[in-house]
Amino acid sequence: MTVTSGVAASRRIFRRGAAFRDAGPPVALVVLFLIFAALSPQFRSIENVQNIVDAAAVLAVVTCGITFVLMMGSIDLSAAGVMGASALTVSLLVANNRNDNDFGLAGIAVAVVLGCAFGCLSGLALVLLKVPSFMATLGVSAIGLGVATLMFAGVQPNITDAMLKSWAIERFLGLSYLTWIAAACILVGWLIQRYTRLGRYAFAIGGAEEVLTLSGVKVKPYKVAVFALAGAFYGLGGVMVTSQLGAGLVQAGNGYDFSAITAAVVGGTLLTGGRGGILHSAVGVVLVMVLTNGLVQVGVSPYWQGGVEGLIVVAAVAAAVIPQRRRNQVVK
Amino acid sequence: MSTPVAMQPVAEPATGRTGPRPAQRLTGFMPLIALVALVAALTIADPDFLTARSLTAVARTAAPLIVLAAGATLVVLCGGIDLSIAALASLTTVLLALWLPHLGGLATPAVIGVAAAIGAVQGVAHVLLRIPSFIVTLGGMSILSAVALVVSGAGTVRVVDDSPVAWLDLYLAGYVPMSAAMALLVVALIALVLKVTPLQSWISATGYSESAARLAGTPVDLVKIGAFCVSGACAGFAAVMLVSRQFSGGPTMADNLLLPAVAAIVVGGTAITGGHGSLWRSLAGAFVVTLLRVGLPIVGVPSAYEQILYGVIIVVAVALTLDWSKVSIIK
Repeated sequence: MTVTSGVAASRRIFRRGAAFRDAGPPVALVVLFLIFAALSPQFRSIENVQNIVDAAAVLAVVTCGITFVLMMGSIDLSAAGVMGASALTVSLLVANNRNDNDFGLAGIAVAVVLGCAFGCLSGLALVLLKVPSFMATLGVSAIGLGVATLMFAGVQPNITDAMLKSWAIERFLGLSYLTWIAAACILVGWLIQRYTRLGRYAFAIGGAEEVLTLSGVKVKPYKVAVFALAGAFYGLGGVMVTSQLGAGLVQAGNGYDFSAITAAVVGGTLLTGGRGGILHSAVGVVLVMVLTNGLVQVGVSPYWQGGVEGLIVVAAVAAAVIPQRRRNQVVK
Repeated sequence: MSTPVAMQPVAEPATGRTGPRPAQRLTGFMPLIALVALVAALTIADPDFLTARSLTAVARTAAPLIVLAAGATLVVLCGGIDLSIAALASLTTVLLALWLPHLGGLATPAVIGVAAAIGAVQGVAHVLLRIPSFIVTLGGMSILSAVALVVSGAGTVRVVDDSPVAWLDLYLAGYVPMSAAMALLVVALIALVLKVTPLQSWISATGYSESAARLAGTPVDLVKIGAFCVSGACAGFAAVMLVSRQFSGGPTMADNLLLPAVAAIVVGGTAITGGHGSLWRSLAGAFVVTLLRVGLPIVGVPSAYEQILYGVIIVVAVALTLDWSKVSIIK
């Protein structure tokens, strides 16, 4: 009897701890928002809030993808390269000034599939060649940038496709189409995470891969599938950047890889895997956007953005490691 | 130039296996084979390639890469990775360009000292906060780039009077670029210091099995911090070379050297899992990467393939040199 009550009590404490941890990022978001709103009158204007949400769209899609990889305990540095390749692909396939293609939605689909293929490549390098994911994805990122440079061929493709251009300009209920696409991605990501085997196994692989392997699950296909899924999200991210810029650029994904890791980590997805999720990351994305927008509004140079993100990542990872300091002795 | 690579014995961890595996035996000679094959291929493609002038140009181009890769090799030997070297070198070019008018000849040691300190800070963060090294240095990369942008005002900083660093742009005996000679000197110096002190065994012990090294009384934490410190100093010295060649500093000047440097390390055959490898290997790797870079246009391949090649090289070389016995689960 006492044993069961003890177990129940400890479980309750554990739940309370988990609830506290989950509540952290949203509370931080609210606090941060209030601080900036108090400091800057421009920040609390309704237009600026719209700006923040619209600016978060691309990052949200990229973060959706990276979250699955992080849940597995792997890491993905390939977003910049994959986005560059898909941005060039889509800008050359929809109506543009470089060739006579006008495939519209099919062109967008091809770009997403290309991203998916790049993700697959990272996953295969990880699973078959046993290359650690940060190295594999660093390599794939370089390949993506190279492919993008080849397609760029020295002449910038400007898109003339009315539909793709309208995504960034036209608004529905006060928010741009891109924002609604991002919201849809978050919903799809959440459904995958919650209701499909892929999502649940991604969690399990991050939590205890050995146990999963011992219980007879073939984890390798799922790992490749997770990277492919992430790649598809980056591909869509590249398409969205192209819509924003009106042109396909090799540097379309510059910085998004690190910002997405920042957003996911700050939202409560541990880099060691097995914790967090799409909704956590969504909060993280808004948190990062509020921070970057707020800092600019109160007069901090926008060049500091990367520095702030770097500090946040190191601090967040360090904070997450503290409870298990004694457990993992070896840190590479 | 690459004979030391062949002489380097294939050190084996005492894991009960006898002799190197075929893959390891192959990777032991990989940089040498690649180097010879590349030189041969380029000579066939362009008979003018094997002249003093073009070889001098190759050595001069390779110099900053050699120094960058040599420093980061120490971190890789300890089992970690330093992704911040290129960003640190960029920041150092800016600092050097800004400080040269005020400090003159003292600017060079000053910036190398600052770079070493930044490297050490990252090492301390890695060791004390127990954050994986690639996260620390990824964060560091982002922070250092931001600092470089802010300090330089996001523009190139011209160096008007470059006399304090101009000596790096001279030629020894008319042919050997001073920068390449200094790069070789740096590699030889670090290798010598490792050889004559217990550091060599400390570093490989840390890389092969950190917990065993700790139990054996190796100052693992200090070794790691020291490796990051040297890596930072090397990034600083590479930056000095870049400034002496380009007469300016820029917040993104060295950023495109990260992939070549990582590629040089892994092509040399230094295992990303730590322990196995050496500085001489990275020296050969740096020449391989530079020859690829210079050679692609000679063979008539567009330079866009350079990036793709780096990506493929990194993945393949890491896969070949990886110590599979050590990693049951790859994340």
